Amino acid sequence: MNRDSLKALTNAHAWVGLIISTILFIIFFAGSLSLFREDIIAWERDPHFMASEQGDNFSIDSIISQVSKKYNINTHGRFTLSLPTAEQPLASLYFEEKSFEGKSFEEKNVEETSAEEEYTNKHLIISPEGKILGDGSVFTWGNFLYQLHYDLHIPEVGLYFVGIVTLFFFVALLSGVVIHWRKIATKFFQYRKDGKKDKLLDAHNLIGVMGLPFHIMYAFSGLVFNLLIVYQISYAVALYGGDQTKFFESAGVVDIHLDETNVRIPVTGIDTLLAKAKGSVGEVDFNRVSIDHFGDKSASVTFRGSDKSQFSTRKEASYHIASGRELYLTKNNYDNDLRGGLAVISSLHFGDFAGYSLRILFFILGIGTCYIILTGNLMWITKKSNLRVEKQNLAGLQIVYAMTTGGFIGTIFAAAVGFICARIIPIDYVGRSDFIAYLFFSCLFTAIAVALAIKSQKQFAEIFLKMTAVALAVTPVIDWLLVSTGIIAMLKLGHYNVIVVEVMLLSLALFCWLIAAQLFVNEPVEINEQESETVISTQAIHS
Amino acid sequence: MWSRTFAGLIVGLLLSISIVINLNLLLPLKEDTVLLIGVLIAFPLWAGIQVWSYSFVSAKKAWLKLSLVLVPSVLINAVLLAVR
Repeated sequence: MNRDSLKALTNAHAWVGLIISTILFIIFFAGSLSLFREDIIAWERDPHFMASEQGDNFSIDSIISQVSKKYNINTHGRFTLSLPTAEQPLASLYFEEKSFEGKSFEEKNVEETSAEEEYTNKHLIISPEGKILGDGSVFTWGNFLYQLHYDLHIPEVGLYFVGIVTLFFFVALLSGVVIHWRKIATKFFQYRKDGKKDKLLDAHNLIGVMGLPFHIMYAFSGLVFNLLIVYQISYAVALYGGDQTKFFESAGVVDIHLDETNVRIPVTGIDTLLAKAKGSVGEVDFNRVSIDHFGDKSASVTFRGSDKSQFSTRKEASYHIASGRELYLTKNNYDNDLRGGLAVISSLHFGDFAGYSLRILFFILGIGTCYIILTGNLMWITKKSNLRVEKQNLAGLQIVYAMTTGGFIGTIFAAAVGFICARIIPIDYVGRSDFIAYLFFSCLFTAIAVALAIKSQKQFAEIFLKMTAVALAVTPVIDWLLVSTGIIAMLKLGHYNVIVVEVMLLSLALFCWLIAAQLFVNEPVEINEQESETVISTQAIHS
Repeated sequence: MWSRTFAGLIVGLLLSISIVINLNLLLPLKEDTVLLIGVLIAFPLWAGIQVWSYSFVSAKKAWLKLSLVLVPSVLINAVLLAVR
């Protein structure tokens, strides 16, 4: 590659990185936390309910009978039950309740048949013995972080927006490799910590190169999750003449849909069908049960679970409930290459195939990526700050600095506040989940606004990071002050989710404190202009 | 920079779709296998073309060079789809 092309690419690398930095930081930070989503959900919820051993008499039919009596379940809505497992002893039931002008099934006068139907999403927590313990919809902090990771809570277009940002992350990775290629082997371990020169660049390159396979995997799999629809549409139109059904058949999607009959029958016999499914598909831990057309004669049930004896293999068994007829059985998940391939991509993304050790590694690499994004921005800021005053764009510099300090640290701080609120707000407080969500975004946007108004950015970043570290470290203390009985009960049963989350928060607190002490101390950071490959054009951000 | 960004984004997307469709029509493999190959190479192609677009000094050159690759690929698409 000639010198001009390399310079153009270097400018583009800095420009792309800067443009996507704040969003990418949020995606990676929330994604790193989401690796422990199940632990965060259990951390928030289980200390309030953990009181008994795991029961052997969990009956799906009994739960359905209880719920059917109490709620008017929407036939056209989803009905999904996640079964208790050794790791997660509480079951969760999700369904839609049909209500009438805001009144529940119990409140509604039977005579008011003309009342307009409304649907409310319900989430119930079920004990290992099959008792309904309470409302699960108030424990949404883990899922809030996960949704922040994949669509930033932006309705409709958030998924695609995150997809585009991921594409540019991929572009930044590839351009970074091209720029650094000549030195990728010779300077593989270079980190000039003591020289105070190019410390940021060395950290940027070191983590970037060491974590490259991880970064490429995340960029690629993230794109598959968020933007695959673009290629789906083009394949369906160009290769299948617009026939989506034919396309989905080739893609291994199994359609077991049965037409609704509008004949109501009670939903029973699910336990028997589960036993039948277990006998049919072999060594599979079924952990999810979903029912289509609940209460209709056409209702079908699907059991889903993973086959632990094979890598990334999920199996399904579907039955027509009324007749017990088998509708679909996965005997080999690799019977379709696309389906199997997508399952592998999904497993790689979620790191769900090698226990905690892999998730811890992915978490470290994810936080490392956040550090790469931070050092990238700081390099740009340092470079611009070192320009002669007449060449500086002070407004641009302030905005980038504010997005870096306010946006990056604000995200971590908002998450720390979220964890504190998820623990201290009473579980019977109406609108608990919404309140935590609003508070998260309020903290983030306030941090950005304050950062925009403050001139001494380094001092602000140092203090704000230390405040964040304290906020993160406070959560474990509050845990033990407020729900120690529940935590001890969980530990006695061998459930360590609370400890996992507490260790994660304390690690983040330590990381924040170290960054505050190392990166944002009030002294100018020098950049060796001869050795630095990051030659950032003065106009790059404005062109 | 914005113009080169859009060159890579638009032409890159079209080119990646076009190349993947050509592969789909040319490779003598099972339907699901070629669909998977398409998924595996489409995004890296798109990102790679975006990087290529940034390596040009001017936006005009980027649009031109990328289009020069896109046109023959689309023509091959047309021929392969017609003779299918």
